[in-house]
Amino acid sequence: MGSEVRLQPDPFLNELTNMFERTTEKGSVWVTLKHSSDKSKVQRNKMKTCGEKIEYRCLVRATDGKKTISTLVGPKDHQRFQASYATILKARMTALRKRERKDKRKAADSDKKEDSKIRSTASKTTN
Amino acid sequence: MVYITSWDDFVEKSVQLFRADPEKTRYGMKYRHCDGKLVLKVTDDRECIKFKTDQAQDAKKMEKLNNIFFTLMARGPEGNIVSRDYFTNQLIYPMQMSPFIYLFLVNRDV
Repeated sequence: MGSEVRLQPDPFLNELTNMFERTTEKGSVWVTLKHSSDKSKVQRNKMKTCGEKIEYRCLVRATDGKKTISTLVGPKDHQRFQASYATILKARMTALRKRERKDKRKAADSDKKEDSKIRSTASKTTN
Repeated sequence: MVYITSWDDFVEKSVQLFRADPEKTRYGMKYRHCDGKLVLKVTDDRECIKFKTDQAQDAKKMEKLNNIFFTLMARGPEGNIVSRDYFTNQLIYPMQMSPFIYLFLVNRDV
């Protein structure tokens, strides 16, 4: 695995999307969240003894096993970030199984909510 | 390492771990499109809990947990994830969750 690339939040999200795109046939995407000062233990101890305030952020890391990227998200930008992040996951994590509908009439329409429907222009038949 | 089958239990334990050790605890997700599998993991390097699924409905639940952790980790363990509506003074929860989870999350100043 190569070294970690630190990105700004928006480029991170773009690259995360690419990771999902690259791993549809095989492979995995890992995303990890951590509360982090982004400072080494030595630096943290130094700051603690000086009474210096240590700022924490949410460190987000993503990897596909080959490339690793990371970004920091703070109290002012996490809401925007988490909304974009949720959108990406919703769009990309489509291989999970949807619940089976017990209603037979709806069976033809189930699991197709996100697919584009090609509507027949032929006359409709009633069941 | 323990696989937890109840979603609510997994969430409760995850937040517990984070509150107990905010510096060490990390929350990870692994998604395999080719297998249609999703695994969540929370660990403080001492204890490790996991939740695995192949169900789309769990991805929706995970979104709520993601938001909890983004908030906790971006603001700090003391950060409020529950706020009050300015006009009605009612508590606003960021998401619908099992109510007891908020015993761990509501800041006493709210």
